[in-house]
Amino acid sequence: MKLLLANSSAVLLYVFSAVSALFMSSCEGEPLNAECDIVTASLSGNVLIREPIIENDKVTFIVKNGTDRSALAPEFTITPGATIEPPSGTVRDFTMPQTYIVTSEDRKWHKEYTVSASYITISLQYDFEHVRLEETNNSKFEVFYEVGIDGKETLTWASGNAGFALTGMAIGKPTDVFPTYQISDGKSGRAVAMTTRLTGPFGAMVNKPIASGSLFLGQFDLATALSKPLEATRFGIPFSRVPLYIKGQFKYIPGETYMELDKSEATKLRPVEGKTDECNIYAVFFETTPGMEYLDGTNVMAEYNQNIVAIAALTPEERTATSDWRAFDLPFKYRPGKTVDMEKLANGDYSITICFASSIDGDFFCGAPGSTLIVDEVELICYE
Amino acid sequence: MRLHKYILSCVLICATAFTSNAQSDTTDGILKSATMGLEYEINAGINIGGSAPIPIPGEIRDILHYGPGLNLSIGASITKWISNDKKWGVSIMPRFDTKGMQTKAQTKNYGMAIIRDGNEVSGNWTGKVSTKYRAGTFTLPIVAVYRINSRWKVNAGPYVSAVFNKEFSGYVYDGYLREGNPTGNKVVFEGDSQAPYDFSDELRTFQWGLQAGASWRAFNHLCVQANLSWGLNDIFKSSFKTVTFPLYPIYLNLGFGYAF
Repeated sequence: MKLLLANSSAVLLYVFSAVSALFMSSCEGEPLNAECDIVTASLSGNVLIREPIIENDKVTFIVKNGTDRSALAPEFTITPGATIEPPSGTVRDFTMPQTYIVTSEDRKWHKEYTVSASYITISLQYDFEHVRLEETNNSKFEVFYEVGIDGKETLTWASGNAGFALTGMAIGKPTDVFPTYQISDGKSGRAVAMTTRLTGPFGAMVNKPIASGSLFLGQFDLATALSKPLEATRFGIPFSRVPLYIKGQFKYIPGETYMELDKSEATKLRPVEGKTDECNIYAVFFETTPGMEYLDGTNVMAEYNQNIVAIAALTPEERTATSDWRAFDLPFKYRPGKTVDMEKLANGDYSITICFASSIDGDFFCGAPGSTLIVDEVELICYE
Repeated sequence: MRLHKYILSCVLICATAFTSNAQSDTTDGILKSATMGLEYEINAGINIGGSAPIPIPGEIRDILHYGPGLNLSIGASITKWISNDKKWGVSIMPRFDTKGMQTKAQTKNYGMAIIRDGNEVSGNWTGKVSTKYRAGTFTLPIVAVYRINSRWKVNAGPYVSAVFNKEFSGYVYDGYLREGNPTGNKVVFEGDSQAPYDFSDELRTFQWGLQAGASWRAFNHLCVQANLSWGLNDIFKSSFKTVTFPLYPIYLNLGFGYAF
């Protein structure tokens, strides 16, 4: 106290500098990293036909036919400071998926990754009988997968359900409040149902007021779902056959009021008089090239996209309401000048995607809430 | 611009102090009080400071912006001199004040919950956080006063505050959320995608802390004051876990007082 009084004119300065000095000196150092991610993955020896698919707890290598999977040594880079067990470069038998555990730099967190190396699996029939539960943001939703005649999983369907989970609309609710879910009364057995949903206050806040029900072959990248939604839908899985037709059965009931994205509204939606929602069913066969390993919402049907070889799609007349099962049988229309290079086909340089959506403009957050598309008994017909 | 605001407010505060001068100069009551060893003062000032974690935790990597905002205070003090030489006394200094700040910070792995009308996504945020804190308080310090000489007084003691009009809100941008915890799904917010949060309801309505300060009598009735108040309880309720470190209100009050 005495010190403070010694120089009367400087009292305020003293107090100021004392406080600011305290703040400056009291910052703690940077905390150690808490994340434990596999950031990149690679396999040596030119055995991959695609870039590895890295998800939050899963890494998938798609290897060339004939690759010896019993002794592979994948290499990983991980979050700085984290450790991986077994270490990157360890030789392991990948005839079955293997588990890796990544532990964060601060040692407080760890994540178990399932790493698999698989050949191109060709599955031509899709019956939507199988689902498993996944959880995001305390919300459980269904993920569809298909099994082959040997009972093994052949492929997993992607949907936007994880994005819907983020909105908090499904916390503590059953799986059928999601945009994509399984129903028990299909054409045969169970079927996939897709319903355009309102995404509530959270969805409106991020200018994504509705979510179209969707199911597609590829991956849904939750990380970019809010900032670049069109890029979050990554279409395509490797395919080594030449597709001719896609056929199946569907029912479609459009929702009552078609809504358009309008950022000036509180709900971010504006009703559009006299417009009826349409569903969408299409398949795209395309060549993968470096830099375009998959298609996304920005280019999946684009005229300019040179990678697209053939498209099969419902016509506008077919995208309409039907409360009874309606069969579809869509030919793949090859783009002018496009042929299939059989050598590339054998090397796994082509991909296919099949997409279903309850609102055709759902990519742009337009559609009628309640529009419901039900699909079953889908089959791809290919050249022998 | 900001500086102008302060100058203007200081002038206003002085004016307030001087006008009140005219109203009640030397009434009988005050004379009587003086003989009983009581002294009255009214004062007004500005608060500069923030609600800060001490020490600033590692999760906050950088303060990109700090705006103290315009925080006014108006109050009174009643001093009872205890010792015969009027060197030692006790003061109560009731005052209304606003405390606020605006910050933008770069964070790493910062506990965050984005809530919209009951729908919530929470987790660990790495990126930028914009925060606005504002609270109106009624504060009652009870302090010991020591008069050094005819011009200087110092005081120190505890205070309690009732908080009203409270706000702690903002938005996150340019970064990513790990949903749930650091192993959760990554969700990127960039460009125009930002997400607001509002923890206003989680703020306490009662705060307490310590105050210390000095007052210098510039003229017969007018004194210049500086009081530092240091909050000792977290501004958030203890049940609130999202912000993982306590925040303490620390404000320097600079002002003028009129002594009757």
